[in-house]
Amino acid sequence: MSKIFAVAGVVIRELYRRKDFYVLFILTVLITLLMASVHFFHDDRIVRFVKEMCLILIWLSALVIAVTTAARQIPMERENRTIFPLLAKPIARWQVLLGKYLGCWLASGAALVVFYVFFAAVSASREHSLPLASYFQALWLHWQMLGIVIALTILGSVALSPAANVTIVFIISLGILFMGKYLNMVAQRMTGPSGTLLSALYFAIPHLEFFDVRILIIHGWTTPIPWADVLLATIYGFAYSAFFLAAACLVFRRKALN
Amino acid sequence: MNAVLRIENLRVEYRSRELKQQTKVAVNGLTLSVQTGEVFGFLGPNGAGKTTTMNVLLGYVNATSGAAFLFDVNTREPIARQRIGYLPELTYYYKFLTVEELLRFYARIFEIPKSETETRIDQLLKLVELEHARKRPIRTYSKGMQQRAGLAQALINNPDLLLLDEPTSGLDPLGRMKVREIIQRLKNEGKTVFFSSHELGEVETICDRVAILHQGELKVEGRVSDLVKEHQCNLEQIFLKVVGYQSQLS
Amino acid sequence: MRRARLALLLLLVICFTLAVCLQPRLAARDAAGQDSENTLALLLGDGRQMMADRLLGKADAYFHSGKYPSIFEQNAAPEENHMAAAASGHEDHDEDHDEHEALPPAHDWIEAFGRHFIPTKHVHLEGGNEREMLPWLRLSIELDPKEIQTYLTTAYFLGDRLGKWDEAEQLLREGLKANPNSPNLLNALAHAEFESRHDLARARNIWSIALHRWHDVEEPKPEKTETGEGQRNMFLLEEILGGLVKVELAAGHLDKALEYMKILKANAAHPEGVQRQIDALQAKINAGAGQTK
Repeated sequence: MSKIFAVAGVVIRELYRRKDFYVLFILTVLITLLMASVHFFHDDRIVRFVKEMCLILIWLSALVIAVTTAARQIPMERENRTIFPLLAKPIARWQVLLGKYLGCWLASGAALVVFYVFFAAVSASREHSLPLASYFQALWLHWQMLGIVIALTILGSVALSPAANVTIVFIISLGILFMGKYLNMVAQRMTGPSGTLLSALYFAIPHLEFFDVRILIIHGWTTPIPWADVLLATIYGFAYSAFFLAAACLVFRRKALN
Repeated sequence: MNAVLRIENLRVEYRSRELKQQTKVAVNGLTLSVQTGEVFGFLGPNGAGKTTTMNVLLGYVNATSGAAFLFDVNTREPIARQRIGYLPELTYYYKFLTVEELLRFYARIFEIPKSETETRIDQLLKLVELEHARKRPIRTYSKGMQQRAGLAQALINNPDLLLLDEPTSGLDPLGRMKVREIIQRLKNEGKTVFFSSHELGEVETICDRVAILHQGELKVEGRVSDLVKEHQCNLEQIFLKVVGYQSQLS
Repeated sequence: MRRARLALLLLLVICFTLAVCLQPRLAARDAAGQDSENTLALLLGDGRQMMADRLLGKADAYFHSGKYPSIFEQNAAPEENHMAAAASGHEDHDEDHDEHEALPPAHDWIEAFGRHFIPTKHVHLEGGNEREMLPWLRLSIELDPKEIQTYLTTAYFLGDRLGKWDEAEQLLREGLKANPNSPNLLNALAHAEFESRHDLARARNIWSIALHRWHDVEEPKPEKTETGEGQRNMFLLEEILGGLVKVELAAGHLDKALEYMKILKANAAHPEGVQRQIDALQAKINAGAGQTK
């Protein structure tokens, strides 16, 4: 495990030494503050609009950070040839992959904490309340979702170029978030093999919408989600992450490095 | 003496789209061994199979047939690399890390205890004369400094076997001398050194035994002194003879 | 080098000439196209109406604190826009209805599990929280200033729910600029004047104008159409006449109020209700006349 954590540590260092996170965070802050300064019909107590805009920015930024960080790990190691001195050490390829995944996931989690603290500060300044349990659940579920996306990106990174990988993962993630839960509904209205295929896809994809509880946060549904459901969603997330990572390990194991 | 490095009938084939799916035999039936405490030179012209052999030893590439062993452990197992240090020809390290962080990272891979790690890092940075730059990111280093950082990471685990790929390539005479001194020192400590090089003069000076590869096959192997006596010429001429070079002038 | 400089100079001259020639035409086009003023409208083109509709749906979702059917669910069971219904006074469903019970059974475990992460109670914003819808309504208006219903809905929530009558009035005037002489907007403006400033004279004037505009705009339309689209808006007429009745009653002009009530009865969907009000008012007038005698 220490080898995996060692690799993860390098990934985390890389993220906070790059400018990506800081640029996205500053953009999020600026745009949110700009939105908050706009008064619709001279009402400065409007809070849900600001919360929604802030959360959209946080989700986009977190997705960009997670996907771009994960997508470049293995390709950059190969391109910069840093993978050679690394694999010349007593570390297996699967340990490198797991370390990369863990590093990206922890780094994304750290970024999320900063984003959500900012979000909590903004909403508390207007609402004068802080439903900590709900916010924690939102952060936790968001982090689990990023875990799935990062695992999928790592799988893509051992087979595709960074640009193709990032594009495909973004399309898949956003597609599932917007459309995932409706696929079965659409499938039922279709006839023939296309309906069956769509239905199969509906059951096969990771349903990222389980982890998107922005609506509850925005509209002040302060009663937390039952913790059992959060735990089930977490297990669901880990299962899909493990599946994608296992597939990535299988592919990477056979990959020639030179 | 025990063989720390053993290659048995190694064959490595490549098939790639660039080669239009034809098979290229990079190494063909290579068998050799390196004993404890030896300084072994691994020579051959470009494309002879030296790098492929190194890649098999380091686990980057799997053998098509045959096997390679480090300390009697098959090189396919990561644990085979627990007691080796590797210095690549070109320095490829994480540019955003400092040399201190890099050494600490690799020490964790070797599972060296923290207390020992810090002592080792201090010693190595002193040895390679990078103490003054320990807190600077590697991307700010000159080529020579990067090479020295590479040497430090190759020695972090106090390896019993050092694999060096063109260790003096790109170094100035002073740098080359320092590398030779380090190799000699390691030999005196009973370490084994296995290195490939094109600097035949250097190889003749410091190596105990050499092997010359050509077109994937082992052509010559033996003690330097024995080979020189046998062929009645220096190592460079032996090399040229083995690879079939006909001088235009003669 | 010399050739490159000459080429650059030539390019500069061409660009300058083009700019001088095109500028008057562009200025004329900008002056003619008032709709192009709005940057969003300019960028989105005709898609802005779709976007405006989407934003109106967003406001409705906010009205329901996030619980809103998707486009797929809407196609399966079309729902009324509750927010607009509330604004027009057609809201007649139980607000405390627990939608979790009303939701159809989940088709599969994924749908069932997913319901734990979304709002399931059917609620409406109230108690001042209606302000949360305002940004989306404002944006919808910006994108489609010709959509009168959005102005009416927004003005209703601003005035009747949030007590922001000044803002409601300003918005309605803005709506009248984009949609001159709209009887709907005039009616709403008169209502705002009556409720906020209690300016009876002004409210009466605006309702009178609204009545005239109704006759100009709505009367030529057919009484009934198959789909209901494009038919005469009798409900609006009732509202305008009702407003005039209110203002005359408030001013103490009972005879005038009675006159309007009779016109209202002739056009009302439920004339018997109006008749009862006429009878009550007539009795009041008679009682008043008896006292003076």
